Amino acid sequence: MNFIDLIMSHAPALLVVIPLLGAFLTPLISKINDKIRNIFVISILGITAVFVLLVAQQVLDTGTITYVFGSSLQTQNNTVIRILFEIDALSIFMALVSIILAFVASIYSWGFLENETGQDKYYTLLLLMTAGMLGMVLTGDLFNFFVFIEITSIASAALIAFWTNRVKAVEAGFKYIFISTIGALFILFALALLYGQYDALNIAQLADRITFTYLDKIALIIFISALAMKGGIVPMHMWVPDAYGRAPASASLVLVAATQASLYGVFRVLFTLYGNVIHLPNISFGWILVILGLITMLVGVIMAMIQTDFKRLIAYGAVAELGYIFLGVGTGLTIIANPDIGISSAPFAVEAMKGSIFHIINDALDVGLLFMIAGAVYYATKETSLNSLGGLARNMKYTTIFFIIGLLAISGIPPMNGFASKLLIYESTYQLNPIISIIAILSSIMLLAVFVKIFQSVFLGPKLKKFDDVKEVPKSMLIAMGIVASIIIFFGLFPDLIVSNLVEPAVNALIHPENYLQGLTGGL
Amino acid sequence: MISIDELFNTFNTGNGFWNPVLWLIAFVIIFLIIYIIRGFGNNSYKKGTGQTQVFLSGNPESDFESMHVKSSNLYWGWTESMKWIIDALKSIHTGNVSDYVLWFVIVMGVLFLFVGLI
Amino acid sequence: MELSEITRIVLTTLGGAMLITLFGLVFGLIYKGIDRKIAAHMQGRIGPPLKQPFLDVRKLFVKENIVPENAVDWVFNLAPLIGLVSCITILLYLPIGGFPAIMDGVMYGKGDLILILYLLIIPSLAMVIGGFSSGSPYATVGAQREMATMIAYEFPLAIIIISLAWRLSLVADVTNVFSLATISSVPLWGLIGPIGFIGLVILLFTLFLVTPAELSKIPFDSPEAETEIADGLMVEYSGRNLAMFYLTDGVKTVVMGTLIIALFFPYNLSPILGLTSYSAMAADIMFYLVKLFLVILFSVTLIRVSVARLKIDQVVYTYWVPLTLLGLVGLICLMWDQTIMTQFNIPPIIELLGLG
Repeated sequence: MNFIDLIMSHAPALLVVIPLLGAFLTPLISKINDKIRNIFVISILGITAVFVLLVAQQVLDTGTITYVFGSSLQTQNNTVIRILFEIDALSIFMALVSIILAFVASIYSWGFLENETGQDKYYTLLLLMTAGMLGMVLTGDLFNFFVFIEITSIASAALIAFWTNRVKAVEAGFKYIFISTIGALFILFALALLYGQYDALNIAQLADRITFTYLDKIALIIFISALAMKGGIVPMHMWVPDAYGRAPASASLVLVAATQASLYGVFRVLFTLYGNVIHLPNISFGWILVILGLITMLVGVIMAMIQTDFKRLIAYGAVAELGYIFLGVGTGLTIIANPDIGISSAPFAVEAMKGSIFHIINDALDVGLLFMIAGAVYYATKETSLNSLGGLARNMKYTTIFFIIGLLAISGIPPMNGFASKLLIYESTYQLNPIISIIAILSSIMLLAVFVKIFQSVFLGPKLKKFDDVKEVPKSMLIAMGIVASIIIFFGLFPDLIVSNLVEPAVNALIHPENYLQGLTGGL
Repeated sequence: MISIDELFNTFNTGNGFWNPVLWLIAFVIIFLIIYIIRGFGNNSYKKGTGQTQVFLSGNPESDFESMHVKSSNLYWGWTESMKWIIDALKSIHTGNVSDYVLWFVIVMGVLFLFVGLI
Repeated sequence: MELSEITRIVLTTLGGAMLITLFGLVFGLIYKGIDRKIAAHMQGRIGPPLKQPFLDVRKLFVKENIVPENAVDWVFNLAPLIGLVSCITILLYLPIGGFPAIMDGVMYGKGDLILILYLLIIPSLAMVIGGFSSGSPYATVGAQREMATMIAYEFPLAIIIISLAWRLSLVADVTNVFSLATISSVPLWGLIGPIGFIGLVILLFTLFLVTPAELSKIPFDSPEAETEIADGLMVEYSGRNLAMFYLTDGVKTVVMGTLIIALFFPYNLSPILGLTSYSAMAADIMFYLVKLFLVILFSVTLIRVSVARLKIDQVVYTYWVPLTLLGLVGLICLMWDQTIMTQFNIPPIIELLGLG
């Protein structure tokens, strides 16, 4: 076995190990020079991104990969006792979302945090958070999932409170760590319920053994509500505007990926962990997701309408976008969990799930781009209140163009990527109930209004004297925004390419939990 | 690798379709046509005269700062007629972290009720 | 797909785009003239000649194109252009006359109802952004009103479109229910029972009331409100930029009319008269133009002459409460219709009346 094969055979582990080691090296390298440290962090995330792509290629070609840490898979009393990663198309899709945002954030931070102190800590936390997120989506072990949630939460909380000299940032950090800890502890409790009964922590093995006892029901509800809270689903979304609004823009960007990793948790639990028994409950969990999604969209968008702070407004917009993700997946789950219908006689369920999964990456990119623009405006003017901004389209032409792209993308105007995924959602969920599509269309128009409001109050309007000497932001920030904007346009123009090559395998991974189980039983 | 015709694929949603590339081609063509038509129009105006000042029904123009409509005044018609929803939602968003946890407990409780555990 | 195929597509798109641009601009202005003439007669005036809109556009092209110093010039100049262009692109997806085949295999069948719904937003959005970029308080007030109106009418409009597609997906054994080709080849009128018929009439009525707001006509023209905010979002526009908005208005009227025709009255004259070839085309086009005239007469002219302007919060209320409820009633009628038809085995209304 030559060196490259050796590396490739351990690629799943390296996905987490590289950013983790990078995180510990960052403070040391900071001692040398700021520039070298920035290059180091960017290249660490770049290498991780390359590995994500390599693993993605492998997963899409050959199916689920199981990677066992330490040695080969061992069992004791028929229970897997090793920590392992189990990577299917959905995991790698989520990993792709996380790594794109983290990589872009690292480029963006170069300019954005230029004159700040404590950058070494910032970059360490950024890498740590990336490692945590990747771990969350790749792991095949419930306890491991909890550990990675904790890593992500602690790193995020510290990043949110990065500007420690500002009271509100520290307050937001405190709120976040409070909410996260409660959520994570409930998750720990739920997995203890499962462990106590089935003597296993491995997701595949648990899914195989689960019988939907009374305790399993409790565990399921705790999993869903705790992970939904960490994902920012209404009515447990209130920490989102605080956290997103006060964190440095580059950290908000990565937080978007972190919340989506939590949503991944919801889907993994419902479709894989409880995949064999999801038709047993007396109510449809699909409908619960759909209703949560509808409330999330409406509340998010109405609250966004009345915000006057740039980043809080985007944060509420981001909450509303999460609703679309729940809508499609909920529609799919309703059909799958209903033994009378079955997925084969209701093809719209698959389309709805495709729309939602596609929307995960679109939402991450659109919201990410808008956060970067909010950061750029803050960088240039030191203002975040929409009431005191205005007329910046003259000074910051590129930022304005990127904003227009983000505005069109998030409100789903053709030909941007948001339209493609929303089109899938509208044209499939209506078959479950027409009201779902109607409200989805309505919220997307309201999102348009919300972001046009930003356009008016930040970029348009008469020239304000206090912003006469405002200049365009540094190149690194423009590059970061440019990368995301071009991905948005690419996805928008070639949606069929993305859906059939990336999204469809991910949806199949959700619909067919048996493939996930096979990844393990092959080794047993 | 990806071939050219894959880029021209229509995005099919099962119940509808959408081909962005063709739309873009048509958009560009029509844009050029309209741009040429527009080019026949008069392009001049007198810069720096009273012409370029903002129309305020003959009232004197005030300074720029006070002519910018602030964001909290936008969408008045909508906020006015949807006041009852907005006020209700505002009163829920207390910003108090113990309320955040309360909502978590409420959601969990409602789900327990639905599933029939309580 | 070979290179020649791509060339063919591009060339067809080029030809089709030119034709459709000409059609949209010319007929937009003609119908504008007709609308003004009829409105004038209803008010007891003689009114301008039919070619007045053409003269208006020519006048605007000669006038100076003022860019106010407060405006963000590139956004200010680009907005009218983008609005007009995207409005014309909608025509590519609509069946005009008996001609689904104008762009057959190229554009037709490459975009559906939801796409049209979204493309219809772009001209309004361009007007809003143009208004905001003028840097004038009047324009800003007008533009934000336009945006609030958009949010308002989009609710009933979404209900209408989704209800139609949903009902069609239940009764007709067709794929692509959102495709206009499908909708106009299987008109719903012939497939539903008596209650569904009532529901469909209600939805049509709602759509007639949504149209004036989509086109910023009285009683929903508070964004432009000449008497209070001096033409609102277009107050700073002049010369050729204003001409672009003027043309957009005309094209949009044609688009909305054609959309209503395609959704509710997709019938053609030639099969009834037994015509073929060119005479069939001519008959269908004439029939389409008559239908378009009637739709515009009922949804624009009659309404705008007979009622007064609503305040902006009344506009939002009108759409979000009474008209949304009306749309939902229509939807519920369609839902009941489905249950009743399957349970009691009632034939479609067209058979009850002995027409089918």
